[in-house]
Amino acid sequence: MDQIVSQFLLKSLHIILDSRIPSLHPNDQRSDRHTSVSRARKNDKWFNLVLGDRPAALENLNFWHRNLMDPMIIDIILVHEGPNSSSVDAYSAIKASVETVIERWVVHYESPRVTPNINDSSLHKKIYKKLIILLRSLYSQMRLLPAYRIFRQLSSSGQTYNLNLIYKVSTFSNPFSRAEEEMMREYVFAPVEASSGRFSVAVSYRKTLSDFNLEAATSMFPRIITDYVGSPATDPLRSFPSFDKGVCATSFPLRGVGSPSSAPFQRPHSWTSGFHRPAPFTQGHSLGGSPPTYCAYGSPSPPTDMCSQRAQSYRSTSQRLNSYEEYQLSPPFSPSPSPSPPTYFSSGSVGRSRGWSETAPMTIPHPTASGNARYLSPNFSDPNRHSLPPLSPRHTRLDPSSQESASGIRSFRKPESLRSGELHSHSVNQKVTKDGRDDSGRFSGLLSSSGSPRIGFSRSSSRLSFPDDLDDGDFSCPFDVDDVDPPLVSDGREGSEFTSTSLPMGAKSQDAAVGILVDMLRRAPPLQQDSSCYSAQSLNTEQDGGVATASGFFMPRKTTDALEELRSYRDMKNLLLSKSGAHVLRKDEA
Amino acid sequence: MNCEVCHLKELEVEHFEIREVVRCILHTIIFHRALGLVRPKEIDLELFEITYVQCGDLEVEKKIEEKIEQFIGWVEKHPNKKSQICLSFYEVKNKQVSWFSKQMERIYWEHWHINLNVAQQPKVHSVKSHNSKVVDTGENTLEERSIRRASLEASLRDVLFQIIRFVNDKKEHVPPIPSREGVISFPYEITIPSSSDSAFGMDMIKRMLQTGHPTMLS
Repeated sequence: MDQIVSQFLLKSLHIILDSRIPSLHPNDQRSDRHTSVSRARKNDKWFNLVLGDRPAALENLNFWHRNLMDPMIIDIILVHEGPNSSSVDAYSAIKASVETVIERWVVHYESPRVTPNINDSSLHKKIYKKLIILLRSLYSQMRLLPAYRIFRQLSSSGQTYNLNLIYKVSTFSNPFSRAEEEMMREYVFAPVEASSGRFSVAVSYRKTLSDFNLEAATSMFPRIITDYVGSPATDPLRSFPSFDKGVCATSFPLRGVGSPSSAPFQRPHSWTSGFHRPAPFTQGHSLGGSPPTYCAYGSPSPPTDMCSQRAQSYRSTSQRLNSYEEYQLSPPFSPSPSPSPPTYFSSGSVGRSRGWSETAPMTIPHPTASGNARYLSPNFSDPNRHSLPPLSPRHTRLDPSSQESASGIRSFRKPESLRSGELHSHSVNQKVTKDGRDDSGRFSGLLSSSGSPRIGFSRSSSRLSFPDDLDDGDFSCPFDVDDVDPPLVSDGREGSEFTSTSLPMGAKSQDAAVGILVDMLRRAPPLQQDSSCYSAQSLNTEQDGGVATASGFFMPRKTTDALEELRSYRDMKNLLLSKSGAHVLRKDEA
Repeated sequence: MNCEVCHLKELEVEHFEIREVVRCILHTIIFHRALGLVRPKEIDLELFEITYVQCGDLEVEKKIEEKIEQFIGWVEKHPNKKSQICLSFYEVKNKQVSWFSKQMERIYWEHWHINLNVAQQPKVHSVKSHNSKVVDTGENTLEERSIRRASLEASLRDVLFQIIRFVNDKKEHVPPIPSREGVISFPYEITIPSSSDSAFGMDMIKRMLQTGHPTMLS
């Protein structure tokens, strides 16, 4: 009987998430879903309803839903831009993203008292049959409620929208406010009575969703900042506005960037897929790595889908503009597997899965770009950029559309298999960033762990952002941009600020970008493998080989890898210089 | 066991909408009654913004399509009539009629009545009218049509909700799932009004014959 209950909960969660969260199953999977019944996995045959791949998040349901008697409350949340969204000014403030609960599902097995399991099989059969019917009607109902329309639109390929759907699962929830309640309508499925309890499913849903305008996000065309000049005059030590949301930290875990633990929050049993204000993430610590649940969107493109949800919230045209601009700074970068945004580019599904968050390899330039754009005032000077490195994935989020247009850095095609790998990498990350170091720490864990199929370059670059100590790397930077002061790493939120490098004034933008990159590389933590980071892995017993291989993969890399990286950087530098040289020539001729 | 009957809300459909509407309703009902291993198939209606679920079984699809064709044929012969399609689920029981023979008996445990009112296609009198009039009626027709379409969509959605509610409320009468392979666990039949005028009456008689006293048949 217990098995029936837990499977029922799992199945209903699967049904609900499948038809509400776009990022769980990117488009290309939809067509594959209608394959023959015979290929259904054994686990999927429960209740005679084959649903297809189970999102990895479901695997972890057992962890947090300790007590089967607790209600499982699934909130479907629509993330959209608040009314005080700013103009398309490049330096404008962040657009507030508002989360509205558009549906709340409560699946509950109510058992008034703990009764010994009566193993009456005929009774069980009856209950099972009734549950089958209940789940069928749940499945149909999902498609009749208003939220389904939005889900379909969001799932359609190609477009990115200004809305996003995320979910939150918990065992308790904040009741709705009066105003909200008035907008909701309730539907209760007839409960199925069992001898030891009662299965009930109910939903409160918003009657109308016409308030939310679903608009395709305008694609950001990268603009080249022709007169970019790094200015040392700007305050290099400018610190980020603290993330009052605290969510920042939380968001990381999703992405796998590991921020983790600093995200304290939480409500004991709840986890969410996206950025949810009170950030009710179950911390990895307590669950030994189960948190990955949130990000479990095991979509083929790894990190992108991870916390895609999150990424969405912070989308603002201005930011994107910024980030792209910064990218554009160094066109020559594109071809080379620069550690930056390319990660995004690589995943083909990026555009589709709106929620791509920056992937691990987002490395150096990455932070500069978006991070800065967002939080710093309009100044593209490098010092600031540096300071934003591993920034919250939010910042570094790049609009998929722009990414695709921005560069062809497709170097990091992550194999789909990393689905679970990512999941686990989250947990790894969480461990990694335990020390509360958000910034640099963020990228490290995940990046490294998820990177196995990545190009060596990216891998190494990701490793650069290891959380630990930011002492100068073991390698000497081939680009001797300037003398670099030892990076000042402030604890906690203050973003690890790199001391300003005084870029040569008036340097060509490309050179400046190179310089910045180099500088960051220099300042990045060494490629030491911190064994403690990987200790987390041992916690995740259920992780599949993905993570294990990932972690194992990194262990052996040491100085030799660093040297290789160096060499690649050197090559890159040469390439850039040669290109810029050519560029100069051309300019002169023109 | 008792036989549950569900009368669905009447829908006013136009000729070209029949197919989609009937298909949607029939499939939805069957999806909730096909308790074998199912890989659900989502189908979007073309005419409306509604998505329904099919059980994915080809046999079922074929049977439904056949019945829909028959129904449309009937509608064309009997325009402007209220019609009803009946979807019934039954159990087959062997009944010992007498000491030497057995009889297969159908015991119906659920009836669904789909009520439709097929609106006659408006004849176009444009040839005779003045141009302006034609334009007016044209616009009116379009507007009416869209209003009607919207109300039909809302009604269809209501019908689907009704089906789900009925399916959930009444579960006791569903017989145990026979242990046979396949998607469809219970045999069913779709009855459309027959050509005779007393279609409904005939159906009733037929049913009575099938479930009634065995001596009537012999």
